[in-house]
Formats: sequence, C-alpha cells, structure tokens
Amino acid sequence: MARLANLETEYPVLDSTVRNFCASHGIFSVEDFLIHDLYMLAAFAEQNNSSERLKEGIAQVLSVIDDMHQPWLNGMELLEDAKRNKHVFPTGIQGIDLLLGGGIRVGQLTELVGPSSSGKTQVCLRTASNVARNHMVLYLDTGNSFSPQRIAYFLGKTINPSSAQAKNQFLQKVMSNISCHSVFDIFAMFDVLHQLESYLRCQDGRGGCQMRLLIVDSISSLISPVLGSSSTQGRALMTSAGYLLKKLAHQHNLAVLIINHTVGGEGGYSKPALGDSWKCIPHSRLFLSCDRGSNNYNVSILRHPSMASGKAARFVI
Amino acid sequence: MGSHAKAWLVEDESAREMLDRVLTERPFLLLPPLHRVPLRVGNVVELAGPSSSSKTHILIQAAITCILPKLWKGVSYGGLGHSAMFIDLDCRFDVLRFSELLNHRIMEAANGSSSKVGCHQKDSEAQFARMKPYNEELFALCMKRFLYIRCYDSSEFLATLKTLHYRLQKEREVHGVNVHLLLIDRKSWHLQNVSEAVVQEIRRLLLVHPMLVMATKAVVLGNKYSTNELTWNYRKWSAVDNPYSRNITSDQQLPYREYMPAAWQSFVTHRILVRATDDDLVNGEHQNNSIYLLEWLLPPLNSLDKFTVRDTGVFILS
Repeated sequence: MARLANLETEYPVLDSTVRNFCASHGIFSVEDFLIHDLYMLAAFAEQNNSSERLKEGIAQVLSVIDDMHQPWLNGMELLEDAKRNKHVFPTGIQGIDLLLGGGIRVGQLTELVGPSSSGKTQVCLRTASNVARNHMVLYLDTGNSFSPQRIAYFLGKTINPSSAQAKNQFLQKVMSNISCHSVFDIFAMFDVLHQLESYLRCQDGRGGCQMRLLIVDSISSLISPVLGSSSTQGRALMTSAGYLLKKLAHQHNLAVLIINHTVGGEGGYSKPALGDSWKCIPHSRLFLSCDRGSNNYNVSILRHPSMASGKAARFVI
Repeated sequence: MGSHAKAWLVEDESAREMLDRVLTERPFLLLPPLHRVPLRVGNVVELAGPSSSSKTHILIQAAITCILPKLWKGVSYGGLGHSAMFIDLDCRFDVLRFSELLNHRIMEAANGSSSKVGCHQKDSEAQFARMKPYNEELFALCMKRFLYIRCYDSSEFLATLKTLHYRLQKEREVHGVNVHLLLIDRKSWHLQNVSEAVVQEIRRLLLVHPMLVMATKAVVLGNKYSTNELTWNYRKWSAVDNPYSRNITSDQQLPYREYMPAAWQSFVTHRILVRATDDDLVNGEHQNNSIYLLEWLLPPLNSLDKFTVRDTGVFILS
C-alpha cells in the first residue's frame, strides 16, 4: 500500500506537516486511512495550528481513496455491458449446451465437479477446441492432462473434408490460439494470472483475436495442499484465487471453466472438494458422472444463476 | 484539484436543513417476504442462511420494490420510487435475471390494471402493445435508479464506504431522489478492525442519509444432515429412500455459529434466518420451485413463513 511519503511527488499537498500530523495518529499509509475515523481526524486537524493545510491533505487522500474502488454503475449501464460483452459460448457438446441454455457464459465462473474419469477434462478440451476457432484460450494444466491430439481429433470431426493442406492450415490456426501452461502449485497459478491480467489490460480494446476462455484443470489439486485445519492461510489463498478469477472474468470478458474433484461426504455420497467456503465462489456448478463401461455421461446442475438445480441431462463425447 | 478536493470537507447542512430532514415522514416499509415486521429507514436487517437459500433474491426483490414508482401514467406499481444501492461483495450478481424480474413486475402491474377495467382478450392485447413503449421508458427509468458496485476485497469495500457520502450527495443533486436502500451482499471478512471500521462508516452514513440497510450473511447450519445438494439430487434420480436427507420440519431449531464480531452484531437491528427445505412445489411441468423457510430471529417471532421464488418474484405460501 502506498506510503504517504511516496505520494508527495504526485500530490505536493501531502508535505511533511500533514504526514507528521497523520503519524501522530498512527497513520502511515493510505491503508491506515481506510481503517481510521476521518471525521475525528478532521476534528483534530481543526484544533491544530495549520488546520487548513491538514484538511487539504486529508481531502487529497480521500480523493486518492476514491480511485481505489470500482466505479459505480447504474442498472442500464450494467445491462448494456452484459448484452454487449457477456456472450454465451457453446461447449460443442449438445447435451450440456441444451442443459445450460446455450453454453457457458462470459463473465462467470463455471465449475465442473465429478469423481475421477467422469469426463471433466474431456469437456474442457472440447470447449477449448470450440472456442479456439475464433478466440484465444488459456489452459492452465496441473496434472499434464492437456492433450493436443484430442483437440485435433475434435477439430477434425467438425471440419468439412477438403484438401489436406487446407485442413492442416485450419488446424494450425486453431491450435495456435490455445496456450497451455503447466502450473503445479497455487503460487505459480497466481503468477500466471497476474501476468495474464497485465497482458489483458493492454490487449483490451485492440481489435483482432481476443482471449475469451480460461480453463483451470484442476483447481482442487492446487488448493487442497494448502488447505489445512490449523492455519487460515490456505482458506485465504483459496478465496483470493476465487476472487481474482472472478475479476478477470468480469473485467476482461473471459469465460472461466474450473475443474474440481469430489471427496467423500456423509452417507457415502461424494461431494465437491474444497469445502463450504469455496461453494459460493463459482457462479455455476455442474456435476459430471460417467456410466461405467460406456461413453455416456451424466451432467446435473448443482447451482446456476438462472436454472433450477437438479436439472440433469446426458451427453456423449 | 484543490477546490475539487475541498468539496469533501464542506459542512453538510444547516440546522434548518437538518430539521427538514429529520421531520420528514419516515414511512414503514413492508417488503415481502419480510412482511411480518414493518421496516423503516435506519434499520439494519441481517439475512442469514446457508448458501443457495435465496438470500440474494430477497435483496433483489427489495431493490425492485424500491426503484419502482408508486404510480406512473395511471398505473399503480406499488413501489417506493427511490434509488437503491447494491454493494456486491460476492461478485455474483446477474443483471439479466434482475432485469427479467423487473420486467415481469412491470408487466404484471400493467396487466393487473388493464384487467380491472374488464376488457376483452383482443382489447387487452392491443392495450398491452400500446403500453410497450411506456414499459420500456419505465424500465429505463427504474434501472437508472439502481446503483451497483463490486468490491473484490475489503480495502475496496472500505474505500467505497468512505466515499459513499460524497457519492450520495451527488446522486441527490443529479436525480433529486434520495437513496433509500443500501444492500450489501455477503459479509465475509474476518478481520476485526475492518469490521469495526465498516460499522463505524455505515453508522455515520445513516446519520446523514437515512437508509434501510440489508445485508446477507452465509452461515453453516449446525445440523450435520442439513440440506446437502447432492443427496437431494440423488433423491430425484433413484427411488431408494435415502435415510440421510431428513426433511427439515417446522419445529426443528437449527443452531448456527455466529462468527461476526461484536461490533456488527450490536449494529444489526433485525435478524432473519432463511433456508431451503427439501420440499418442492410442483408448479406445472417445467418448474419445480423449492420452498424456502423464513424465520425471524430478531425480533423473535414464533412463526415460520414459507415462500417460493417465481418469475415474478417471491410468492408467499403461508
């Protein structure tokens, strides 16, 4: 957080008189200002000799604080942004698209939960191959499950048979839209996401191919190691990861697809991993399972902003 | 820059203005499903409940009632005609769903008044088509009165609260309407000093800008066998009776652990607990709406309200 001393170059009104006064009340940075009672501070400033100066200083910090939060929007502006930017991307799997009323939505976190081999990675690969035709995709891989052969297979199924060269060119173009990064712990993921944030900030507004899909396969293998019962640091990391993903999704118009595993719950039924604190972070949660010995999968809605939970469907990959 | 910054510390109001403000009528608000206890500006209502128990929906319902006008072009909408501010700490607000609900309420009110006149089917359709541009105008007017902000962490939240006073004054000048409703979705920060600062800021704000504050809070109910989403889904698929999905009966007291610091607990004037039950209300072939239970903890009432959520909003069952 910015120390008041560092702000002096930009805002000369925050000179040493102001800073000494603030220091006498235990305020050394902008963050301290957030916790203090500013009206009391102004009242103290009133009694001081150089009250005008001090009040100007406080007013200046207040306007700095005003830049620290997101802008206020009214309903019409929100709606316009949703209609213009927050499209729905079909996953390419008919059963899921029908269930979700179109596909996964930009600006929202969609979580795929299921026991192992329930088709979660397959759904992600299929969605990536679908979205990569026109947009860029970032795939964060924690368990070396990304398979370019599978993506090529999905693409091969849907393009018209034409010359081998044209096919090759198309494959090249689409595959080059997908970036795959291996991350093996949560700090590496934070690193990648912060770099992504700076990249997207420059990229937004420029034309051309924009990034529209972020896949994290899987987030439970990144967070479970740090979640322990004794310290709260793990939970704080988990919450900040969730909020960072939400921020990226909303501000840079990405659809985020997250994979989570299941753990045993009461009664022998499995429940999503990462506990109750994580439950409220994704916008939509889908539960996947596989019929043993066949290619048929089941998907049901655990949570969705506009659909009733419990709705189920079947699909084939 | 200097004069703009100085505007922060201009005195708020003269004595006469203060008397005007305090002596203005402060009506009681009855917002379903919180209709058992009339609420006034200055009250702080806390909605507690496990996740997916329609808490955010109740906030949205209150916001829509607040931004709709009481009477507009001859049609009564039953709203308050004031602005509402929504601070989204959960960052999960869905504006498309919000606008759907608002549209449904507008159409319902418009249809209600036209059916009272007793027109035939054709006439009412023609009237509805005539009303459409009015509906859009009204829709835009209402949406402009809904103010929304997202806070991704507690420093952003504190920054928002500290600058809210200035923002509210600007709103008053621009729109001429007061903000009457402050909605905070999900209070989940755990730091002691942050909570104290938050309570202090809101308290100060309420002195100068009387508003009704409604905040949601996620709790984990004490009962180990409380509604588990997956067992609920399994119940739908298999016919085998699952002994663990016990129905939450009306007379079961589910304790929950209070984790908010004392500063917030003493600030809250009304407390409500909402939860979803395992029952469904079969409502046509497509809709299976869950039934929710609402219980007043402060002031403690012995009744439990049942309600369900529909397209037009909350529908009280009992």
